[in-house]
Amino acid sequence: MNGYGGQILRVNLSNGQISKEPTPPEVARQFVGGRGFGLYFLLKEVPPKADPLGPQNKLIISSGPFSGLMIPGAGKCDWTTKAPLTGGYASASMGGHFTAEMKYAGLDSIILEGISPKPVYLFIDDDKIELREAAQLWGKGSMVVEKILKDQYGEEFQVAAIGPAGENGVSFAHINHDYGRQAGRGGVGAVMGAKKVKAIVVRGTKSIPVADPEAYRKAGLELFKACKEAEMLKEWTTYGTTIVVSWCDEVGALPTRNFSAGSFEDGKNLYGPVMRQKIVITDKGCFGCPSPCGKYSRVQRYNTYVEGPEYETIGMIGSNLGLSSIEDVAQANYLCDEWGIDTISAGGVIAWAMECYEKGIFTKADTDGLELKFGNAEAVFKLIEKIAKKEGLGALLAEGVKRAAQKVGKGSEKWAIHVKGMEQSAYATHNATAMLLAYMTCDVGAHHNRAWAITYDLQVGRERVAPEKVARVIWLQHFRPMFDVLGGCRLQWVELGIDRNLYLPALEAITGVHRTWEDLELVGERLWNLARLYWMREIDGFDRSWDLPAPRFYEEPPTSGATQGQITRFEDVQKLLDMYYEQRGWSPQGHPTPQTLERLGLQSFVN
Amino acid sequence: MMRLYADSSKCSGCRACLVACSLNLFQENNPKKAALVIEAHFPAPGAYKVRVCTQCGACAEVCPSGAIKLNERGAYYVDMTECNLCEACVPECPESVMFVRTELADTSWKCDLCGDCVSVCGTGVLWIAETEAAVA
Amino acid sequence: MSATIRPFGMLREYLQGEKEAEVAAGQTVRQALASLGIPPEVVALVLVNDQPQEKDYSLQDGDVVKILAVIGGG
Repeated sequence: MNGYGGQILRVNLSNGQISKEPTPPEVARQFVGGRGFGLYFLLKEVPPKADPLGPQNKLIISSGPFSGLMIPGAGKCDWTTKAPLTGGYASASMGGHFTAEMKYAGLDSIILEGISPKPVYLFIDDDKIELREAAQLWGKGSMVVEKILKDQYGEEFQVAAIGPAGENGVSFAHINHDYGRQAGRGGVGAVMGAKKVKAIVVRGTKSIPVADPEAYRKAGLELFKACKEAEMLKEWTTYGTTIVVSWCDEVGALPTRNFSAGSFEDGKNLYGPVMRQKIVITDKGCFGCPSPCGKYSRVQRYNTYVEGPEYETIGMIGSNLGLSSIEDVAQANYLCDEWGIDTISAGGVIAWAMECYEKGIFTKADTDGLELKFGNAEAVFKLIEKIAKKEGLGALLAEGVKRAAQKVGKGSEKWAIHVKGMEQSAYATHNATAMLLAYMTCDVGAHHNRAWAITYDLQVGRERVAPEKVARVIWLQHFRPMFDVLGGCRLQWVELGIDRNLYLPALEAITGVHRTWEDLELVGERLWNLARLYWMREIDGFDRSWDLPAPRFYEEPPTSGATQGQITRFEDVQKLLDMYYEQRGWSPQGHPTPQTLERLGLQSFVN
Repeated sequence: MMRLYADSSKCSGCRACLVACSLNLFQENNPKKAALVIEAHFPAPGAYKVRVCTQCGACAEVCPSGAIKLNERGAYYVDMTECNLCEACVPECPESVMFVRTELADTSWKCDLCGDCVSVCGTGVLWIAETEAAVA
Repeated sequence: MSATIRPFGMLREYLQGEKEAEVAAGQTVRQALASLGIPPEVVALVLVNDQPQEKDYSLQDGDVVKILAVIGGG
């Protein structure tokens, strides 16, 4: 099948059976690839109410039509599962080179099923596919394991590995790859660890068939040309996502001390140019990327190397924890990567714990002697390890901020900054209603990847509550994740501003299927509604209350920074949701109506 | 005479050049069949090193079947219909960018200076210019 | 004594599509942006002679100032 690896690999870890089936053309047509395949298999094959860490859950890894081809940013794969963190839909996008290699091995999806009786790693070398002994790797850091496996098998192999956190079922454990790229959020690493899979090692040498090789080559070269001619290419590549740290600080979007404010008085040491000068040693990019956002760093002070920190980690572990030294943030980033936890959720839950400590809800007895105050980098380093090992306070924090706050009570739920149980990522939304709505309605929890709307907020009036804002968020939610479906990266469009129509001739030349952006956004809308149905199926009573933001954003105006005194009114939060549901064709409780399901051809997915 | 140059310090390891190359040589999307090499040195020291053909001609000189010829760009290339896989060329290449991998192709391959790698490199690693010998 | 402001991409809309504008030196970047009707909060990055600077930077004669918007993000 043109543009695809052609096969689905099924690995039953309970009985060790490994099998392949051809990728169904109708699934490819309707779900296209990547995140689309993930959602298809999740809905179809994981039974309702499955335990995320149990044998019935599956971990589905999918490449897409662009993966591995001569297309800018062709390096993304999707990891989909039922989320340990939230009990709902998890879909994490991982960059690097893994997706290309699995495509060269002929694989569109890898489905991990069941639970292995002992630690294993999945070894794939074209058609030679085996589960191999991993006892000697169990307990080791994710990057230590990557090095061991690459030394053993050679640099042509790509490795994705969990750290001890995944082994221990930390609810926001991640999967690490290429020394610094992750399938980050929702606890995908915990699912892999529950299945006792320490790593996946893959190499492929097959070529990917395309429908029209000449047209594909021409369209690919046009895309690269557009990227290279983009005005901002040099500036973007110099700083990567850190390019927005100073701007976010300036406009009150930089999360500070558990989102109590949007500007950090010590933020200047975290800005992109400072980081570049102090610690960055090379740009590092994913497969096929002409605009590498990765900044590989050497932290002299701690003698470590880390890819990063990128914006999210700077926001969540830097300003959100009151850390003002970029070296300390980089060191914390390295520890999260090696131990195997998502930096965003880690920052969110540690910030909550710091606020508990500062408010006297935790004492040193609760924190194993750590002085858990904002700004204490040493405490952060120790806590990351404790979380990964589920030791002491780490055991509580490993559950994620929502469950931790429920357990502790004493009003601490008020400063658990999450939606649907996922810690909010690094944009403070005290007064930015489109971005707030984006976090409220994102289909995996409070993550910014689907709709990023802060600039839009500032352009049209940040406190405005208007149908156009809602329409903008909805459009972004259909369009941006399509890159995850195509197996590529959205940042060439997002950051370089290249014309998205340039992708269409490439997609058609590769797959042989003519699609417009309208067609693709319709796929996006269908996937959005399917994800919503998944939440409704998995969580009893799932309704609009699950779309509400953290109370901090409508109750506690910041007392400092660019958004001092500004807050969103709760009536406006409700108004935003009402408009959102109306525009989506959902009921006032946030459920897709029968008419909407019919319009989208999704009736067969409703039980 | 022209050749490819590489400034490794600008390389971010994306491998777009390798796919462009294999597309040119074999009409395949297969970075393992490219004629330039990116060595990744991670986690330490954290650098990519790029090796390219310098058009030195050592391979052509030693090829017993005359399969390595000059093309219209004035660059040495492998005439794949004539290569008999004797592998005499491989150890002669000072950059180790003369390739024989029979599990991948039943011919040797090398850079033919098509320039597609230069077109897709977004960080300015690669460029084509006169060989030093020509300039001197 | 003047400096040149060169907006990138969508910021050119504030100059009705012009590629650059001359402003008086001696004022801050922030003041210069305001004088051109460009809201400082949509400008993500300021490069003066290709060096990143803050918006409080005081413009010198001959400075060339590139300003970049945050088009998207994340």
